[in-house]
Amino acid sequence: MEKDARPSWDNPMQFVLACVSYAVGLGNVWRFPYLCQMHGGGGFMIPYLLMLVLEGIPLFSMELAIGQKMRMGSIGAWSAINPYLGGVGIASVITSLYLCLYYNVINAWSFWYLFHSFQSVLPWAECPVNANRTGYLEECEVATATQYFFYRETLNVSSSIDENGGMHMGQALCLLLAWMIVYLFTVRGVKSTGKVVYFTATFPYVVLFVYLIRGVTLHGALNGVKYMFTPKLEQLANPQTWINAATQIFFSLGLGFGSLIAFASYNHHNNNFERQAIIVSLINSGTSIFASLVTFSIYGFKATFNYESCLQRMRLLLLNTFDMAEDTITLDNIDYWFSELNRTHPLQFANLIPKLETCDLEAELDTAVEGTGLAFIVYSEAIKNMPASQLWSVLYFSMLLLLGMGSMLGNVTAIITPLRDFKVLARNFSNETLNGLVCLFCLLLGLGFTTRSGNYWFTMFNEYGATFSLLFIVLIEVVTVSYLYGLKRFEKDIEDMLGHKPNWYWKIMWAFVSPLLLISLFIFYIVDYIRGGTPTYQAWDQELGKSVVMEYPWYGQAFIALLLVSSVCCVPAAALYAFCTKKQKVAPPREHSISAVTGV
Amino acid sequence: MFGLLLLLCLPPALGAVDFSDYENGYQVRLSIKTALGDEAYEWNESEMFLFRATIAFAMRQFTKTEAYGIDNIVVRNQTQRVSFWFIVTSPENPAQTVEKETVEKAIRRSRNRINNAFLLTDKTLEFLGIPPTLAAPISPATPPWLIVFGVVIGLVCAGIVALLTSSVVKRRRGNKAKQLPEEEDPAKGTDKGITCEDRNGVYNQGFSDDDRLTQL
Repeated sequence: MEKDARPSWDNPMQFVLACVSYAVGLGNVWRFPYLCQMHGGGGFMIPYLLMLVLEGIPLFSMELAIGQKMRMGSIGAWSAINPYLGGVGIASVITSLYLCLYYNVINAWSFWYLFHSFQSVLPWAECPVNANRTGYLEECEVATATQYFFYRETLNVSSSIDENGGMHMGQALCLLLAWMIVYLFTVRGVKSTGKVVYFTATFPYVVLFVYLIRGVTLHGALNGVKYMFTPKLEQLANPQTWINAATQIFFSLGLGFGSLIAFASYNHHNNNFERQAIIVSLINSGTSIFASLVTFSIYGFKATFNYESCLQRMRLLLLNTFDMAEDTITLDNIDYWFSELNRTHPLQFANLIPKLETCDLEAELDTAVEGTGLAFIVYSEAIKNMPASQLWSVLYFSMLLLLGMGSMLGNVTAIITPLRDFKVLARNFSNETLNGLVCLFCLLLGLGFTTRSGNYWFTMFNEYGATFSLLFIVLIEVVTVSYLYGLKRFEKDIEDMLGHKPNWYWKIMWAFVSPLLLISLFIFYIVDYIRGGTPTYQAWDQELGKSVVMEYPWYGQAFIALLLVSSVCCVPAAALYAFCTKKQKVAPPREHSISAVTGV
Repeated sequence: MFGLLLLLCLPPALGAVDFSDYENGYQVRLSIKTALGDEAYEWNESEMFLFRATIAFAMRQFTKTEAYGIDNIVVRNQTQRVSFWFIVTSPENPAQTVEKETVEKAIRRSRNRINNAFLLTDKTLEFLGIPPTLAAPISPATPPWLIVFGVVIGLVCAGIVALLTSSVVKRRRGNKAKQLPEEEDPAKGTDKGITCEDRNGVYNQGFSDDDRLTQL
């Protein structure tokens, strides 16, 4: 039968940039610095780099090898490796679908912030005034202006997952724009994606570099950098450190979604993926470290700013209470005056004590934040205090956008490539139509995240949609390749593609180390889920002006279970289906197809 | 602003002031050095004279009479902080003080003029007990973000339309070319006999060699 040529990358550089653009995403910016801070600063590099070598690079290379060899998306590739394991591919596609649904909402938020940066005063810099213009809105007073802008104006969040509200029209528009851009970038498959990744992979580095220069020249930035890089080696004894390092490497590289298989399937047969895998993994980890340097200088700036504002408030308090001339107390001699005034006016000073705050720089630096809270609240708070804050705001949110878009390209390709491998779909729908339908479908479902309780559903998807299923998928993948398919056959395939067999490092990692690591991570996750009790989430309390912990209602927990089960059970379900359909046919085709895989 | 709120909470027994005279009075606090830094001026009697004049001006503007003079503004308890108390006496009867609410309204109305006379702001020239009148938010007809959004989404739409029309045009050209006798790649369609379909008719692509079809 006549087959259209499989489209391919214009040159290997596009493939490498696509992988970099996919792997380097928001997690490098908002998760790694947090882990670094939690687990002993500079000392965290040790488990992180060790895990990179033990599981990151081998698993990355394995997925690229599979994609390049099979020249199909995840479903077709895994069906070809073992007809009973097509379910692994289906699980990957479903997990990618979940990811696509909620990940683009982050891009919508980035757009919202980006568009709001084009104002003379950044809207999150000041609280809005209340009705009779005597003060600021109460919710904004209790929380901070940046938190108010995020929770009230951006999300208009309700106080619990039970209270649905209407859609936020601004968010819905931004989500529409985000999906239109994703469509524009993937409309012709790798032909369009290949050109876009030149920009999405490189521009974030430009911005990070500019921010690095700006960051380290900010007042107080060095406090943050020093704090981060001071290694606290006792954290290495904490098993949580090692577990977090392993999971960070694993999720940061984007394994298990099928995107790497999809990207590699468009490669030339003899492309040197081994070297590219090492390069991309190192770039990914290097970017994490680079981004955390920037993040910590920003942290240092913010902490110093807050610390000095606190000191200023105390200085004013002392001046006003004791009616002293303004220039008697400065920030330098405030400690002296504290003790002096306590000594000379003990009664008045005692009255003052309820209003006194302890200004502690260490405590400010200790407040570690991750996730959307870091990206949209902490960073915007730091930016509003910089001179020329609009410029920095535009730069920063464009960078977030590009990081997010780059990852979205991989996610969408992971869904579209296996779909296109089905002849039925490829014949009846053109490239553009199929991509458009996928984007439209995801957009319509994603509108649910723009409702008032949408942020809570987002958190649910973020925490449960892809974590557990991915570990399961990649564990099955590596066990299949090493034992079911056979390491010998895999070696021969690689020799066929690269011209040499993989050396002992790869074989040991694929056969023993990575599966062991994955099994222990898997067991840890299960134990954690069981011990954690009822799943909880952080709800925004309007009166208190901060987040409170609430339990998920019954339907929330049911949905979590659905998320986990729906992707995981594809594997046994598809195996069962394959077993039943094969049983109906006469001869066992299993040996036939496997031996045919290695022969040419 | 915070200093203002903090001091409101302070118990009234602080400071050596006889409050019985000042139930209609207001405490004023100036933070000149904070506001102006190196260009701060010295607070002296002339500055106090100006202050009394501006308050008298505010009372005149509010009551729309020309009755109030400098002598109607009585100042007490100046401190080094540069804070003091003042009361406004009625022009007809100097022994009687003007109501607190009237004074407050008068000052609120002319607050901007008073601030500007001293090159200070609501935060650095505090009238304790009178909340500042915050500037009304400027709400433009179209929110600015919508404008930027419109531009970006317009560009994206144009891009999508351009790409789609170019591919439709290409396909139509391809269809026209197909009506002419096709020049076939002899290798296409025959698959060099590698299409080993297994007995179930499933074409396993895992082993097909379609290198010749890739473009690199």
